Amino acid sequence: MLHVFRELTAAGVLNMNRRNAEYIMRYNPRSAFPLVDNKVLTKSLAEKLGVPTPQTHCVVEHQGDVSKLRDKLTALGRFVVKPARGAGGSGIVIITGFAGNHFVKSSGLGCSWDELAFHFSDVLSGIFSLGGVPDAAIVEALVEPNPVFAEVSYRGVPDIRIVVYRGVPVMSMVRLPTLASDGKANLHRGAIGAGIDIGTGLTLKAVRRAKVITHHPDTRRPVAGIAVPDWEKMLLMAAAALEMTGLGYLGVDLVIDCRRGPVLLELNARPGLAIQLANGVGLWRRLNQVEQAPLEVFATPELRVAWARKTFTVQSAAAI
Amino acid sequence: MKRPLYLVLAVLLLIPTLTIGYRLIWLQYPLLPALPSGVWQFSVKADIKGGEKGLRIAVAVPLNDEDVQTVFDEQIASGALDFSLARHDVNRVGIWSSQADNLQDSISYVAQLLLRKRKTKSAPPPLGNYPPEMGEAEQVAVEKLAARWANLPPPARLRAIVESKEHIWQPLPPQDPARQRWSEIQQKNGALNTLVILCRAAGLPARAVQGLPLAEGVYTVLLSWVEVWTGSQWENVRISTGEIYPGAGSTLALARNIPAIQLLSGSVDEAQWTLTRRPVGGWNLYFQRFAGSDHWLDRWSLFRLPQEFQDTFRILLLIPISALLIAFLRNVAGFPTFGIFMPVLMALAFRNTGLPFGLSVFVVVIAIGYVFRRALNSLRLLLVPRLSVLLSLVVACLTVIALIGNKIGLRPFMAVGLLPIVILTMTIERFFVITEEAGAREGLRTAAGSAAVASITYEIIHWESLQLTFFLYPELIAFVAALQVMLGRYTGFRLGELSRFWVLRKNS
Repeated sequence: MLHVFRELTAAGVLNMNRRNAEYIMRYNPRSAFPLVDNKVLTKSLAEKLGVPTPQTHCVVEHQGDVSKLRDKLTALGRFVVKPARGAGGSGIVIITGFAGNHFVKSSGLGCSWDELAFHFSDVLSGIFSLGGVPDAAIVEALVEPNPVFAEVSYRGVPDIRIVVYRGVPVMSMVRLPTLASDGKANLHRGAIGAGIDIGTGLTLKAVRRAKVITHHPDTRRPVAGIAVPDWEKMLLMAAAALEMTGLGYLGVDLVIDCRRGPVLLELNARPGLAIQLANGVGLWRRLNQVEQAPLEVFATPELRVAWARKTFTVQSAAAI
Repeated sequence: MKRPLYLVLAVLLLIPTLTIGYRLIWLQYPLLPALPSGVWQFSVKADIKGGEKGLRIAVAVPLNDEDVQTVFDEQIASGALDFSLARHDVNRVGIWSSQADNLQDSISYVAQLLLRKRKTKSAPPPLGNYPPEMGEAEQVAVEKLAARWANLPPPARLRAIVESKEHIWQPLPPQDPARQRWSEIQQKNGALNTLVILCRAAGLPARAVQGLPLAEGVYTVLLSWVEVWTGSQWENVRISTGEIYPGAGSTLALARNIPAIQLLSGSVDEAQWTLTRRPVGGWNLYFQRFAGSDHWLDRWSLFRLPQEFQDTFRILLLIPISALLIAFLRNVAGFPTFGIFMPVLMALAFRNTGLPFGLSVFVVVIAIGYVFRRALNSLRLLLVPRLSVLLSLVVACLTVIALIGNKIGLRPFMAVGLLPIVILTMTIERFFVITEEAGAREGLRTAAGSAAVASITYEIIHWESLQLTFFLYPELIAFVAALQVMLGRYTGFRLGELSRFWVLRKNS
């Protein structure tokens, strides 16, 4: 057992205790947490800085407003309902259309107005929020995903997670929905994660739960070698999140809209560790490499991205 | 980063080390305060009847002697009688007396005894006198008899004296004057006193003793034996068999050279002695000790709190240990529990019911609650009203369980009313959410983890030796805090992560 311990440390794998103690606690000031924990705040901040996010149709804060939404939502037809303080993708409902007298969820199942109104009430009462405090519900435009990942996704919208340390993008993956994940891009629910080479923007092998796989379990297409469009732009958006939030260690989640290009979905002040499995590389070693980078590298997002693309590429490409 | 950490650790470790060291060395606190053995409850009860001239009875009670035994928590029932305790020489007697005529009453004396393990260090006792009724001529004759053993070392001398009863006289003809004199003495004094006299003549301090065997029981007759000092300790001699055995640890001496019950007037109907082993009786011993001390550390001892508040602190002081345990399980073992300190609250709730009943009530209520919560889902109740409904269910469950307990006569089932119902309610909700989101396996794993931590916590907070240790040395909390600080700086892998990241290990 002890040798596994030593081997993992030698491989530069980041564990949860170290992530919490040496990165989150040291680089993420508590005062900045609301900015990322509350999506309403994140979105307004992003809009101020010109960072594109999915279009907000409305924010529901009071139970009394729920019944007034019916006509508006029926007219919209396609939208996403999100809790403002939701964690881990819980409480998100995707409506892809309105047919006859009911809404259609992304899974293809019907959903009556009563059921949807009940979901709004649940969100407002705080059942999905961090700490159970009363919450707000956001109604957003449904992102039309760029078809680049269509062959390796089962329904849903794939999203791209970039871990940013002191403004330097250090590791990345794309989360691809599966049948098991009910079309959600959430690794806990069974979505697969494919590493993305920071330097080249090409996908690497993928991981499903803790197992390495080469093909999507439902579409049976290979996941490696897909070139992610607008890669440089996404890296810049991620790197700029440092200036935007003041958080030194965070996960930036993006989706690629087929018309608008990359949009910022949300920020995460406690990004998970599974990204290491998707890349087959330890994160701790990369964080140490960033610490040793020359100081001038940290001056602007552009310099940080350039340094990261140069530094975090070769070994990943070789690992395919 | 590192330096303040070491500073905090140094302070947390140094303060208790210094104060505990001071208490141990200067204030003579015990190193192992909770040594549970050697505490006994002694009691003597008697029904007495007074005559026309009133009543006066002296009953031997255990001696309070630092070297042999400490007597504490004495309780005396004297009815209408006056009572006094007196010590004279090697005895301690309780004296009940009254001037009233034809009195009838019950008297009792109860005390806790802490028997010392170590041997007596005291100087050899004085040789003492012969019984007053013994004449000069008899004394000369006995000393002449004893002269033959004068050259033997004391233990061998004692053995020879004891054996003399059977064979040593054989070589002498029966009409030898010495032997005849001896028979006379023995007939006059009885076997027990003869042995005492013989030892005295051979230069060995000896005394006739009445007491109890050191074993649990109720006695109506006391044991008699002879105590003989053999140079370094008292040896007991059993008269009937001639067996010699060390006195310490096998008998409880009550009356030496005097009768255990002396009646000056009146009569005793029935006397009864009881010995009971007390698993831990240390609490009152320390209470006694601190009540009498003037040192500031003693005056600030938790033993100075009113008794009814002490109980809370016995438990309270141990809770940081179980918090440490939970921190360890989470950050080193990576074991999930419901909420952070919920297992601690569960363990506290089990205080009223006991662990097996408490746990089973918990399991039953959560199982019912889970089924109910599932059914409740289709009603689409909002969060807070939904939790209120669950709370009502929990209260109803506990009520039914209490009524069932009453029917079948199980007290712990009725004590469930004090279980923290809010915790149960939140646990049902959390269990449901975890089961929905992460699967039944994860839900059961978390439940098992919580139950395990609650059980361990329960055992810890009910471990009386540990309670006593922390109660006596509350500064030990700083030690626990030091361990918590160290755990807080543990940035290594959790056990569960070893398998999670297994595939990454060859990347060095």
